[in-house]
Amino acid sequence: MEKYKYQYLQHFFKFGGIELTKTKVNKSIAEINDRIKRGDAVVVTAEEMVEIVRERGEVEAAKEVDIVTTGTFGAMCSSGAWLNFGHADPPIKMQRVWLNDVEAYSGVAAVDAYIGATQLSETRDFEYGGGHVIEDLVRGKEIKVKAIAYGTDCYPRKELETIVTKDDLNQAVLCNPRSAYQRYVAATNSRDETIYTYMGTLLPNYSNVTYSGSGALSPLHNDPNYETIGVGTRIFLGGAQGYIFWEGTQHAPTKAMGTIMTIGNLKEMDARYIRGATIEGYGTSLYVGLGIPIPIINERVAKTTGISDEEIRVDLTDYGVPRRERPILKEVTYAELKSGRVEVEGKEVPVSPLSSLKQAREIAGILKNWIEDKKFFLAQTVEGLSTDQVFKPIKQIAAAPVAKDLMTREVVTARPSDSITSAAKIFAKRNFDHLPIVDEKGKLVGIVTSWNIAVAVGTGKRKLSEILTSKVIVASEDEPIDAIARKFETHRISGVPVVGTGGELRGILTSEDLSKLIGRRRR
Amino acid sequence: MTKKVLLKYSAEKTKEPILASIIKETGTLLNILHAEVSAEGGEILLAIDAPDAEVNQIIKLFEQRGIETKELKRAIQLDEEKCFDCGACISLCPTGALRLTDDYSVELDEDKCIYCEICVPSCPVRALKISKF
Repeated sequence: MEKYKYQYLQHFFKFGGIELTKTKVNKSIAEINDRIKRGDAVVVTAEEMVEIVRERGEVEAAKEVDIVTTGTFGAMCSSGAWLNFGHADPPIKMQRVWLNDVEAYSGVAAVDAYIGATQLSETRDFEYGGGHVIEDLVRGKEIKVKAIAYGTDCYPRKELETIVTKDDLNQAVLCNPRSAYQRYVAATNSRDETIYTYMGTLLPNYSNVTYSGSGALSPLHNDPNYETIGVGTRIFLGGAQGYIFWEGTQHAPTKAMGTIMTIGNLKEMDARYIRGATIEGYGTSLYVGLGIPIPIINERVAKTTGISDEEIRVDLTDYGVPRRERPILKEVTYAELKSGRVEVEGKEVPVSPLSSLKQAREIAGILKNWIEDKKFFLAQTVEGLSTDQVFKPIKQIAAAPVAKDLMTREVVTARPSDSITSAAKIFAKRNFDHLPIVDEKGKLVGIVTSWNIAVAVGTGKRKLSEILTSKVIVASEDEPIDAIARKFETHRISGVPVVGTGGELRGILTSEDLSKLIGRRRR
Repeated sequence: MTKKVLLKYSAEKTKEPILASIIKETGTLLNILHAEVSAEGGEILLAIDAPDAEVNQIIKLFEQRGIETKELKRAIQLDEEKCFDCGACISLCPTGALRLTDDYSVELDEDKCIYCEICVPSCPVRALKISKF
């Protein structure tokens, strides 16, 4: 806490320099709340504010406007809900608990559990998960509860099965460790195959782009210095009034990728703004509707709320590379992304938003109506959010192995012009299944397997060039073993040639090499 | 209503200008939605926007020239109750049958759909369905 107080002071000190020159407009939260009470607060959405600031400048805009409303409706995977079931008779200390076959975390006393959005059903795979359980709770649907325990003198029961709705629960609290990324990278795919990611389905060879976030309507991007947003800020959360209670996990304010932790009463929420989702090939998630009211306390805040889609830039990132640091192709603006078409590697390709821009706009509108109808008042923050927190990667005590750590470097190869019989002899002499075919410069041109040879002999083919597979799945020397294992699985293959940047053969890696390493891992 | 007819070409039929000659003969505009033809034969998917009698006449003309035809009786449905306009499907649709309107609503133009089904599993709330009838 001390650290945060210090950061908060530091934060004000930073603005203090500007405050010395005095802002021309100065409004307190209490004054703005008085205006809401009197019914004469001026509320506009963040989209409307863009025009107002552009036309009249930030000082006039700050005098005129009291509150700017924002909104977003996107997949927020780091979401979940705390539930309290109450005690059974005889009582049970739930050791493990499932809701509609989705396991919830119950390593907290007796009958509390946390259902996380990305936890999958044990019976329905990707079609149903924690996000869907949360939506079904909001809808008032019946949820099947199953719990097991080891039994104690005070909690003797070992098993419990029942059916509950949200009305039967003591508390049902949406509690999200990370919400409302300030902005997020746009995604595309360099590979020659379709990939399925948390950024949606990405077509081969940069054929589409996806992105998330609402740009000019983005809650955190309208106050990127957190001058008005902090611990205690009252917000629109899932159709009800909720709160920000800390900085979000992975909060990265210096990279304009801030996040917030949010909390609100699930029982009061509306399923229009809390939706369980399945992301193909990835898993389940929860779409959360969220809006923050930004009080226009001075012209600095008026200026930041005037930000437009043209001014918010994000990196267009290649998700075809399964590494932590993915290659960045270029910068794009939310204006380009929202136009529906973006140029990638010389061609214009279609864009999918992934988060609902229509509902983001709707949420900013609802928040505006709530304030105008005196149903929503601003909350004074009790702590600031960190402005210098850095998002670090995990500390790894051992680097994950890559292809060159495990590959066989002494590779027996053949030329396309070699005969089938000479290749058959190679296979007979040595115990392996893959024969890479290279040209005179050592560049990989294809592959022949022992099975290909068997077929070739049967059908009377003569040269390797007649039977080689030229479209070869390859790996690069620095490719992580985990990514290669996944290639084996997806393409149902048991070996890959490892090539350099010019396509020259450097080694070979087979499932046998991998099994030594990953045999002990659980699937 | 627009009818969709799938033409199946055998290898030898790919050498004749059958489609062009039928367009010329009937004067009906035939919209090619999808084509995959090689020396080994192939398929062309047509959208024909004409009265039933005229469509039947065109199908007959293809059959007479040795092209196998099949009217595609499929339907794509967008469940607007479930859809929340995230647009995940938009960039995957090869024909622009799914698009975002100016107010960012997802809109489906069934006439343009070639039933490739790529959009169906991409929908996070299973609002897209293709049915055969």
